Amino acid sequence: MDLALTDEQKVRKQEFYDTCKELEKRKPPSFLGGETIYEDDECWEYNLYCAKEFAKKGWLALGWPPEYGGKGDMMDRVLFAEARGYYSIPGVDIFGVQMLAPTLLQAASDEIKREFLPPIARGEIMWCELWSEPNAGSDLASLSTTAVKKGDEYIINGQKTWNTGAHKGDWGFGVFKTDPAAKKHHNMTFILLDMKTPGITVRPIPYMDGHAPYCEVYFDDVHVPAKNIVGQEHEGWAVVNLLAGFERSGINEIMSYIRALEELVEFCNKTKRHGQPLAKDPLIRNRLAELACELEAARALAYRVADLQNRNEMSLMDAAAGKIFFSEVGERFAFLATDILGPYGQVKTSRWAPLNGLWERLFHEHFITTVSMGTNEIQRNIIAWYGLGLPRIR
Amino acid sequence: MDLRFTETQEILKKMARDFLTTECPKTLVRKLEQSEEGYSPDVWKKMAELGWMGLIMPEEYGGMGYTFQDLVVLLEEIGRNILPGPLIATITSTFPILEVGTDEQKKALLPKIAQGELILTTALLEGDGVFDASGIAIKAIPKGNDFIINGTKLFVEMAHVANHIICVTRTKDGTAPEKGITLFIVDSKTSGLSCEVIPTTAADKLCEVRFKDVSVPKKNMLGKIDEGWPIVEMMLRKGAIAKCAESLGAIETCVEMTVAYSKERVQYERPIGAFQALQHKMADMWTAMETSRYLIYEAAWMESEGLPCAKEASMAKAYVNEVYKDTAKWAVRLHGAIATSADHDIPLYYRRSKAADIAFGNTDFHREIVAQKIGLV
Repeated sequence: MDLALTDEQKVRKQEFYDTCKELEKRKPPSFLGGETIYEDDECWEYNLYCAKEFAKKGWLALGWPPEYGGKGDMMDRVLFAEARGYYSIPGVDIFGVQMLAPTLLQAASDEIKREFLPPIARGEIMWCELWSEPNAGSDLASLSTTAVKKGDEYIINGQKTWNTGAHKGDWGFGVFKTDPAAKKHHNMTFILLDMKTPGITVRPIPYMDGHAPYCEVYFDDVHVPAKNIVGQEHEGWAVVNLLAGFERSGINEIMSYIRALEELVEFCNKTKRHGQPLAKDPLIRNRLAELACELEAARALAYRVADLQNRNEMSLMDAAAGKIFFSEVGERFAFLATDILGPYGQVKTSRWAPLNGLWERLFHEHFITTVSMGTNEIQRNIIAWYGLGLPRIR
Repeated sequence: MDLRFTETQEILKKMARDFLTTECPKTLVRKLEQSEEGYSPDVWKKMAELGWMGLIMPEEYGGMGYTFQDLVVLLEEIGRNILPGPLIATITSTFPILEVGTDEQKKALLPKIAQGELILTTALLEGDGVFDASGIAIKAIPKGNDFIINGTKLFVEMAHVANHIICVTRTKDGTAPEKGITLFIVDSKTSGLSCEVIPTTAADKLCEVRFKDVSVPKKNMLGKIDEGWPIVEMMLRKGAIAKCAESLGAIETCVEMTVAYSKERVQYERPIGAFQALQHKMADMWTAMETSRYLIYEAAWMESEGLPCAKEASMAKAYVNEVYKDTAKWAVRLHGAIATSADHDIPLYYRRSKAADIAFGNTDFHREIVAQKIGLV
């Protein structure tokens, strides 16, 4: 067991932190990290600006093979994610850089790789995902949006939903039913498509707090070049599983919570209730300490996940455990912080809102991590079935 | 960064697992719980031959010169199997000797500890039952070349079989409770010292130790006079990580036994492990185990590297205390009635989860340390 960084890694880590600290100064006031890149034009512009800055340094292609402009290794990715997380800096497209690129590297043809990887590395193309449908959520494989092959095109008809950032994405990736006669899990193809293709209608769905981070997407005779597929035709399910394993190691979210804890501690030290700082309240001390322990456990687990990813030994079970724990720590943190803030815990970003209204926001938006990308209940099934080998009875 | 065990650690782990499976079956664990001594001198001797008591002592004192991390690997295996006896009490009592002991103290005690000839324990808690310095009331008063100790210590692990007891005393009533604490190595045969086993949940032989005009030579003082509290903090820190490692092993067994049983036990014409109500609980138990694991390994690595880790050690202890109790509780619940019986192995772990929680500081004690370390005023 060795958690030490090499001297070179320490130097690069410092560079990642320094750069992110600089970028933090340009944050628009409405940007609160995470999904708030979709908040308004300023936030989206900030996201694109950071992407360009990172692209200039080659940091969107960390760990890629050199022939696709890659640089550094997986550990650099982790250290970079840590720095971005701590300062809540956007610019690394979750869908393009974090999910699609590693999937393409493993499963796509050379032609597809050459076409789609460089624009991702340059921070030019932003991606969105097209997975869930109204009747295919946790049971994603029961999807019904069809892609019918005609000549050298697929013609897509149907509807996708809960598509984060689909209103901003230049391109989308998703799975579509290409062989209705085939068995479930062997009837879909993983397709890449330009979101500006005629026949696509994107409608933002209002989230419970009034923001709109996600959309529903309608397909009405949408023509897509048949070459734009990843993996084998009709075997898109394998690509879905591969991509699910490339989700965030979790370190960036955890670091953003660690920063948020530092700020909450400072708030508790400065804010008086009953004539003394909140920090002196034994109950608050105990609850914040409990949360701090969980955050540290999460951080240690994120390094474990990163360590497994570095060696390509990540299992479905490890990925699921990380997803459950990281997201549920966030959920508990949101509840705790809004408790501590008392009546101010319900105030949206405004002059009455402590800590810029972050916690009021997270009181709603923690569901984005517990529900999306396979609900935590599905993750528990994965651990039970594939990890613990418990019987699966249909 | 590489979170895998080293080759040495893998060997140590396998050796410990094989040894404990053979030498410490659950029949022996139950027998020792009922026995007066609470440990097997025969197994103790064999453990000494394997070098366990001196595992992290320098070779010059007859130790193996392993790291603190290696100790954590060993203790994890001990926790998996359960090994009643004074191993953790003895090892944690060597920490202050190694750190602040005089050459004479080191030479007199360490080689014999490594050879399994001496059992040590530390007497910290008193009537208040608190782990902070305010709980230390027992007085040590200088008289000629000696100090005279009067008072009572409680919950002293295996004191009834210990050859030496490290006693944490108050030598000065100062302004802050942390000032005026002094440690002494007390020979347990000294006249005026008496011992009685307290009946406890884990039957782990925690003792009441009474000091009635117990005379201890000045040369048995451990560290400097009145400046003993930082030594206690160091023992609590290392002891907390060590105890966490033992708990982690126990958590592993609870998870593994529960998963295995749920695949065998058939109700409603199917293994109960096929029910999602149980599957999700077991997934949570597994996840909690893994989060505990890397929190402990992180603290152990920092301790091994000599990095300041009071925060991480307390975080680990506060977290793992709760995970162990909860996992053992769910292990009983998912087994059902069978695991509430004294004949079942799961209750051996469940009962120890309470003992592990208290040893080297309970959850609230460590959370308060964490609260301070994260910067709450």
